[in-house]
Amino acid sequence: MRDRTTAARLDRATCAALVTAVLMPVALGLIFFYVPNDADQGFSQRIFYFHVPIAMTTYALFAWGALNAARYLWTGDLSLDLRSYVPMHLGVIFGTLTLVTGSFWAKVSWGTWWYWGSTELNTFLIIFLFYCAYFMLRFSVDPGEKRARYSAVYALLGVGLIPISVLAVHLGQDVIHPITFTDHGAQMDGSMLFTFLMALAAMLSLAVAMYLVELRGKRLDEQVTRLRRLAEGTR
Amino acid sequence: MIRETYVHYVAAVYALAWIVTLAYVVILNSKLGRLERELDEIAGLLEAKADG
Repeated sequence: MRDRTTAARLDRATCAALVTAVLMPVALGLIFFYVPNDADQGFSQRIFYFHVPIAMTTYALFAWGALNAARYLWTGDLSLDLRSYVPMHLGVIFGTLTLVTGSFWAKVSWGTWWYWGSTELNTFLIIFLFYCAYFMLRFSVDPGEKRARYSAVYALLGVGLIPISVLAVHLGQDVIHPITFTDHGAQMDGSMLFTFLMALAAMLSLAVAMYLVELRGKRLDEQVTRLRRLAEGTR
Repeated sequence: MIRETYVHYVAAVYALAWIVTLAYVVILNSKLGRLERELDEIAGLLEAKADG
């Protein structure tokens, strides 16, 4: 039974990696050889096709982690704790990339590495720092149900900041950070939208592959620890 | 007209994304190496127990 489950997980991870291996070169090809230069920002606007999908993937990972946290609190199934932790860990990695790539784009577009007047930048930074603190909380409590419960509650609290971040930008009428997706749809032409969607799909599939591989690693780690206790005769 | 400095910034962003991904793979690989060593140790413990 366990062998079949492990094999299925391996297949999903391999499939996600293969999909990424196809989508990523296609997306890069579209970004550098197909999509035209932006009329306003020129060549540097190509940062958008990596920066925004990375940011959206960050939100998706935090949301997935929070959903699993809610499922854990609902069912009490301890295996969901890892399914909540791994996306949070990956979300912080993607979040770091979002901040760094965003800073490069800010330097090109606005002439500064960071602009404190932008609602979107600041709310993203708050979400990022909030989830960085998640790890401090998690690793300050001994492994077990108590740690899983505290982590789950914290993860759920943080995900509420995501819609606030999106709403704040639209309500605040952010004048410096570009708002590409409005109530009237995407503010870009067809080729740009297609390229963006391909880059988003590539980034999401990369995140899925990383999630499945890391989850496998964490589960193996737990099994090895259990095995060691049994071998040493200290349950 | 593409300004060279802008090309550098764009290249930096894309290179950074790949460097982070590769670093992640390297870290995962080192963790797998650690697990492998731990399994060897456990196997040694079990063999020692079996030998009495």
